[in-house]
Amino acid sequence: MKIGFLGLGIMGRPMALNLLKGGHELVVWARRAESMAPLADAGAQTGSSPADVAGRVDVVISMVADAPDVAEVMLGDNGVAAGARPGLVAVDMSTIAPAAAQDIAVRMREKGIDFVDAPVSGGEVGAIAGTLSIMAGGSAEAFARAKPAFDCMGRNVVHVGDAGAGQVAKACNQIVTGMGVMAVAEALCFAQKAGADPAKVREALLGGFANSKILENHGQRMLDRNFKPGFKSWMHQKDLNIVMQSAHALGLMLPGAAATAQMFNAMVGSGLGEEDSIAVLKLLEKLSGQQ
Amino acid sequence: MKLGFVGLGTMGRPMATRLLRAGHEVAVWARRPAALAPLVEAGASACASPAAVARDAEIVFTIVTYGSDVEAVVFGDRGLAAGFAPGSVLVDMSTIAPGLARDIAARLAERGVHMLDAPVSGGGVGAEAGTLAIMAGGDAAVLERVRPLFAVLGKTLVHVGGNGAGQVAKACNQMVMVAAIEAVAEAMRLAAAAGVDPEKVRQALAGGSAGSRVLEVFGERMTRRDFAAGVEARLHHKDFGIVLQEAHAMGLPLPATAAVGQQLNALMAQGWGGCDTASLLRVLERGGPD
Repeated sequence: MKIGFLGLGIMGRPMALNLLKGGHELVVWARRAESMAPLADAGAQTGSSPADVAGRVDVVISMVADAPDVAEVMLGDNGVAAGARPGLVAVDMSTIAPAAAQDIAVRMREKGIDFVDAPVSGGEVGAIAGTLSIMAGGSAEAFARAKPAFDCMGRNVVHVGDAGAGQVAKACNQIVTGMGVMAVAEALCFAQKAGADPAKVREALLGGFANSKILENHGQRMLDRNFKPGFKSWMHQKDLNIVMQSAHALGLMLPGAAATAQMFNAMVGSGLGEEDSIAVLKLLEKLSGQQ
Repeated sequence: MKLGFVGLGTMGRPMATRLLRAGHEVAVWARRPAALAPLVEAGASACASPAAVARDAEIVFTIVTYGSDVEAVVFGDRGLAAGFAPGSVLVDMSTIAPGLARDIAARLAERGVHMLDAPVSGGGVGAEAGTLAIMAGGDAAVLERVRPLFAVLGKTLVHVGGNGAGQVAKACNQMVMVAAIEAVAEAMRLAAAAGVDPEKVRQALAGGSAGSRVLEVFGERMTRRDFAAGVEARLHHKDFGIVLQEAHAMGLPLPATAAVGQQLNALMAQGWGGCDTASLLRVLERGGPD
């Protein structure tokens, strides 16, 4: 299949490489030309704009920072819609607000283009290994057309529902992971201040109902005090803001997520935004006088 | 003086009426023509568009609900901006995001039009009585031109700072006020659950360090179970959206405000957005013992 890929950052680059490895023909574009070099070296063609890429492929995928970027890449001057061939499926794998994804889907449909929102979970590690979780929203036909591409990038690929449903699932994912990281950090702080060895506590918890991937992976990195991202705090802060804005609009009470979002605000405001989200441990330690 | 007034709801109607009674010529416009009638009876001249209001007036007041409403009234089709002469003044008394207020001021400045953001606290009662607290942001010289008119509308006027500063103060006002309403609601809930008369507790508290205007006004509404709106809770909910977005943008933790915001979300979910914010008590009653 001929696939286009727009946005070659921390996540986009390894995802695009996995499409090449999967035997697909690839045309890439990135705002900064130097980002395209590693892909071109690996055998991808390069495009001069999203419109140019869209005119040369069957499925085009974007992986950018935020909703305005997605709208620009899809619907802006020289965007995907400006160059699309009939039957093109456009897929956005960025994390944006469900309402924004629905809006973009409607505007793309007006131009005769099928749009799928397909955000991912699994971080840079999952992107490199091709083991991302992919949660997709859009028509069944469009999902089926994009599925071979998804299978190269992810292991757990779920068609959640119509347009926006993928982003709803991602928002739910960020609630669970955000509060999960907070819970593990709080437990390890508690252990430390109450005089128990946090490493032993983690080990003990792994055997019971508190066991989770976050306790396992993030918990270990907290013990190692390895705050290298991973998943940067400012990105988790952005995602939790999507959650809280959606909750506000829906009239939905999310007290735990709200408290967690404030801690992520504090991380960004204290200059921890570029560190992994497990740096919330450092903030907790500081607030409890453990540093 | 020739004035304009746009937005004739619970707040705007009595405010515009006071300006008329103080002897000013007031041109008015409202989205719903029905809202114009009481003002026209009181002597205001009705206009067909915001642009027409701006053409007739030296200073125009706006008080509408959302930031998007202010933008539409100012820059929309036949908006105020299309009618303003250079040197005229927009006084926006709506509660909107500080960043948006600064943005509108900058866009008007390009046309030589001045703007003050001047949100108020005090509710419909304060608007009728002319006892509002006005928190203004913008240029000091412009504020001096408007000061005599502010004196008709409010009892206290504080020039907080440059454009947007009035909205920052209003955001702070809403945080303090609604958190206090939540605190009073929780106290009333605890009293009732413990088998003690909440009204007696309220009276006992009123004399001490926990005494406050919120305890007095909202506490009494709670103990009388009078949830008819003074201020509609949906407006506080809207304002909390603004406050928490500001906090997000600045990387600022506001843990208690965020928690109160969730209680307001629950209030909205119960369908009480049109009721008074004293309904936060009813949200608490949805959990715990009967």
